[in-house]
Amino acid sequence: MTRNRLGGSAAIVGIGRAMTTRSDPERQTPLQLGAKAAIDAMRQAGIGRSDVGALFTGRTPQAYMVLQYNQSLLNELKIGPMFSSEVSSHGGGALGTLQLAAMAVESGVIDYALCVTNEASGVWMDQTMSNAGWEGELQFEAPYGVSTPSLYAQFACRYMHEYGVTPEMCARVAVENRRWALDHPHAATRSKGPITVQDVLNSRMIASPLRLLDCAVWYPGGIGTAMVVTRSELARSRHAQASYLAGFGQSNTHEWVSERMGTWGFEPMADGPNLVRTGAAVAARQAYEMAGLKPKDMDVVQTSAPFSFANLMMLEELGFCGAGEGGAFVESGGIDYDGGLPFNTMGGYLSFGQVAQGLYNLQETIDQIWGRAEGRQVANAQVGLVHGHGGPLACHSVVIVSKEATT
Amino acid sequence: MNTVKQDSSEWAEGLNLMAGPYFLGLYQPSPETKGFWEGVSRHELLLKWCSACQRAHHPKRIVCTGCGSADLSWQRSSGRGKVYSFSEVHHVADKAFMASVPYTIGLVALDEGVYLLSRLLSELGPIAIDQLVRLDFQVLESGRLLPVFKVGRS
Repeated sequence: MTRNRLGGSAAIVGIGRAMTTRSDPERQTPLQLGAKAAIDAMRQAGIGRSDVGALFTGRTPQAYMVLQYNQSLLNELKIGPMFSSEVSSHGGGALGTLQLAAMAVESGVIDYALCVTNEASGVWMDQTMSNAGWEGELQFEAPYGVSTPSLYAQFACRYMHEYGVTPEMCARVAVENRRWALDHPHAATRSKGPITVQDVLNSRMIASPLRLLDCAVWYPGGIGTAMVVTRSELARSRHAQASYLAGFGQSNTHEWVSERMGTWGFEPMADGPNLVRTGAAVAARQAYEMAGLKPKDMDVVQTSAPFSFANLMMLEELGFCGAGEGGAFVESGGIDYDGGLPFNTMGGYLSFGQVAQGLYNLQETIDQIWGRAEGRQVANAQVGLVHGHGGPLACHSVVIVSKEATT
Repeated sequence: MNTVKQDSSEWAEGLNLMAGPYFLGLYQPSPETKGFWEGVSRHELLLKWCSACQRAHHPKRIVCTGCGSADLSWQRSSGRGKVYSFSEVHHVADKAFMASVPYTIGLVALDEGVYLLSRLLSELGPIAIDQLVRLDFQVLESGRLLPVFKVGRS
């Protein structure tokens, strides 16, 4: 594979994180979490307010609905960047902030970009109630009584039908995700203990074929994550610790499930509309080519897929097995906690919990490659892949991060 | 926060987003679908039609995906098709719908090549992929008259 000039050209030189839970006496807003994380990231990178050349945020937090959220954060931080923007491609926008940052610093137009994601919907809202309102189209979906799981279930129905994937295969994802979550101090399901395939199959039906334990849990709190990005040349000369953006890619294909089948003419629908292939494969291919790396080079992998079947799909799309082979891959121990690919080492969306947007999966990957993932450390992790997804299976961002410079 | 208009033909105007007394704007307006809802009130299922490339489209299309023409017209669908995908809903947040569970939501592949999400009503036992469907109109829990599909053509 040939690497393009962006591969490894930028690095993360400062990381900040702020967390809150539903039970904290002071209920924190996404803006509070984002501002605290941003200040910590800038401090760690050793840069001041005047050094920030760009501010990229994820989409407006659901628990802080203002127009141009990035400007609220900019106002709070008292910074004056050249570029300021939300990257609003649903949950895929979080990793998208890093991608725009890398291109901006690599070009030399700016030296430092600040990327911030923050959400505290688990503190302020009942997302089980509210989320269908975001996921369903107003005229052609919502009036039929859709729920978020019932929209994703349309993909699950076709995926299981076309490839012979069984509920047992899907359940294995939930079981392995839970095993990792037991090792994470902040995982939403940690206190619930391990689960078995039978537990998943016995859990109540939500929207067939998806049962309760096939679904992500909403994170009962909030997380803010901030990262400072600079070009690798500056990372090496000025900063003590850098995590390199070896490769990245992104693909955005549709907005509503009901119209996904009216979309064709480009990858991954070049051969016609379907519900079994996604832009994740496109994004992953771009990232691997940019990095000059292959799936087998990944020491640790995270995805934000919010349902068990979607995790199987993503294992295929990210190149860890062939199309339709995700179920067999997982059943043969492919992602086993003991000896398999280290996959969703926080517990994934199914067991760590879903914050509506965030860079916390990337933070986890960086913790892993620097040996800081206490209690769940993957031995000798050097390179990790993170997949960010925005619903419903519409927006996909991939970032490959490495401990050593790859240029 | 949202005010819902009661007349089906006014769906296309979207919802008013309010913050206290302040009108912030429209949520999901799509005036281009007004003709679709007028059709529904007459118990007709209308699709967007591109006469240049003889292709039917989802009712929301503004420009033809095939040739780029914005000269799309309404064409009545045969109402015939097949089940493409489906899900039996057992839990939903909205209380009005929760009273009706389980019910089935699915994508219908119309003979015209257009896919619509709809309510699937079984006449012959369990619903399965590729079963034939036929169009009907019903007032659902949302209080709206909507196109629905009966599965298992007799």
